[in-house]
Amino acid sequence: MLSDITIGQYFPGNSLLHRLDPRMKLTLTLLFIVVVFLPQNWFGLLAVVAFLGGILALSHLPVKLLWRSIKPVLFLVAFTSVLNMLYVSGEGEPLLAFWVIKIYPEGIATAVFISIRIVCLIAGSSLLTYTTTPTALTDAMEYLLSPLKVVKVNAHELAMMMTIALRFIPTLMEETDKIMSAQKARGADLESGGLMQRVRALIPILIPLFVSSFRRAYELAMAMECRCYQGGEGRTRMKRLQTARRDWVALAVYVAVVVALIGLNILFGSSLK
Amino acid sequence: MATLTVDNITYTYAPGSPFEQHAIRQVSLETVPGELVGVIGHTGSGKSTLVQHLNGLLRPMEGRILLDGADIWAEPKKIRDVRFRVGMVFQYPEHQLFEDTIYKDIAFGPKNMGLDEAEIDRRVRAAAAYVGLDEALLEKSPFDLSGGEKRRAAIAGVMAMEPEILILDEPTAGLDPRGRETVLAMIEEYRRSRGTTVLLVTHSMEDVARVADRVLVMNGGRVAMLDTVEKVFSRAEELEEIGLSIPAVTKTLLLLRRQGIPVDTSVYTVEQAVQQLLPLLGGDGVC
Repeated sequence: MLSDITIGQYFPGNSLLHRLDPRMKLTLTLLFIVVVFLPQNWFGLLAVVAFLGGILALSHLPVKLLWRSIKPVLFLVAFTSVLNMLYVSGEGEPLLAFWVIKIYPEGIATAVFISIRIVCLIAGSSLLTYTTTPTALTDAMEYLLSPLKVVKVNAHELAMMMTIALRFIPTLMEETDKIMSAQKARGADLESGGLMQRVRALIPILIPLFVSSFRRAYELAMAMECRCYQGGEGRTRMKRLQTARRDWVALAVYVAVVVALIGLNILFGSSLK
Repeated sequence: MATLTVDNITYTYAPGSPFEQHAIRQVSLETVPGELVGVIGHTGSGKSTLVQHLNGLLRPMEGRILLDGADIWAEPKKIRDVRFRVGMVFQYPEHQLFEDTIYKDIAFGPKNMGLDEAEIDRRVRAAAAYVGLDEALLEKSPFDLSGGEKRRAAIAGVMAMEPEILILDEPTAGLDPRGRETVLAMIEEYRRSRGTTVLLVTHSMEDVARVADRVLVMNGGRVAMLDTVEKVFSRAEELEEIGLSIPAVTKTLLLLRRQGIPVDTSVYTVEQAVQQLLPLLGGDGVC
């Protein structure tokens, strides 16, 4: 029953996006957020949608996958749309006036504009996790956070913690499954009863799970020490991140898009209220 | 005592997805009351999946499981009753201890059965005695016990439900030779005194040779062999093809036969081997 929860969304592939350096991908994703929020008019937004479409095509990911990441935010989209329609007022006559509710064409336009923006944001940023393995992602984070050493933030330790956490999620899931089966075999009833009863029924599962997590943590710490692990100082990598020409080309394209969007803003002004 | 019948069951993990995997295919089996069946096979041979069907933890996708002739899934809501009649000890059962005393932990199963205090007390003490846990240990925390004691306490937790059929998944895994011996001996003792049918999942041929009446050999999710210990071990070549190690004694005799020495290779204990070899050496006494 626990096996259908997906952790990390990496979708194996060999597209251009998969092959980009994860550090660059992380940077470009941040840049993409800027790109999504730049446009102030419909021409800009259209350009962003086209740009996103281009990236999606390059990623060779099934459309179904993207739908899966957009689905959870649909509520948010609907919610902001409603708020925008209610609160944005226009100059002309309202399209609909009822009690205190007045809906202007400008409100609807804003709602549509913002909805497209949110969907683009989610679709674009989910590409990062779809095309990058969790380990590559932590490596990239470690690299990008390493300048923070100056302010005593240990990027290596943070990245190591994340790697270990990611590594152990499936293990702990399996363990949970096993403990649940074992307690069910002793007649534990996990499926019926009221809320309190169900919470109490979790005790025989949570205690062994905690105990085993601590046991695993000690064992892992011991194993790491046996292999002389002493933090990031002077540590080399088996897989070294390397930027290739395609990474710099990608960066150049993004920068060009940012410049173009700023140009469109100046050219057509703002259509947002 | 109850009879458990496995009628042609099939189970697939993650059906319909790219990770689809047939765990077991068309497995059939019928237990004889009071016997001890050794279930043996490689990692991934489907043996653990099979035994999890027997007490209704997994529901077969095809086929049926009958307990005394009645389909255990006839009333899914009453599957708990099946779990009380078919007890199951998981691998590393000591990892499932959770109460603050051993006594309470052993009582968890009987309590779930809805028994009264006196009966629970009787069962807890009886189960503790079967596994050789001292009364004084009963009030201790499970986390203060040694590894072997924890394992025995956990097994007692299932024995206390007094199941008609007892399944143990690798009960000797990770124990030292003395610990293995203790656990096997107490399983035998429990079976002898209660007449319980026992299914022992293991990958140790030595364990099987020691305690089993029949052996079920699983390979690639199917039943490869199901026969008496002698008959299964006499098919040593096939066992080796599957990748199962046969007891060292049997292996020795097999090598002798390959060299043309006429010995019976269905032998699996040292005593039997001595019986085989002495006449060949021309002597009739013990040297």
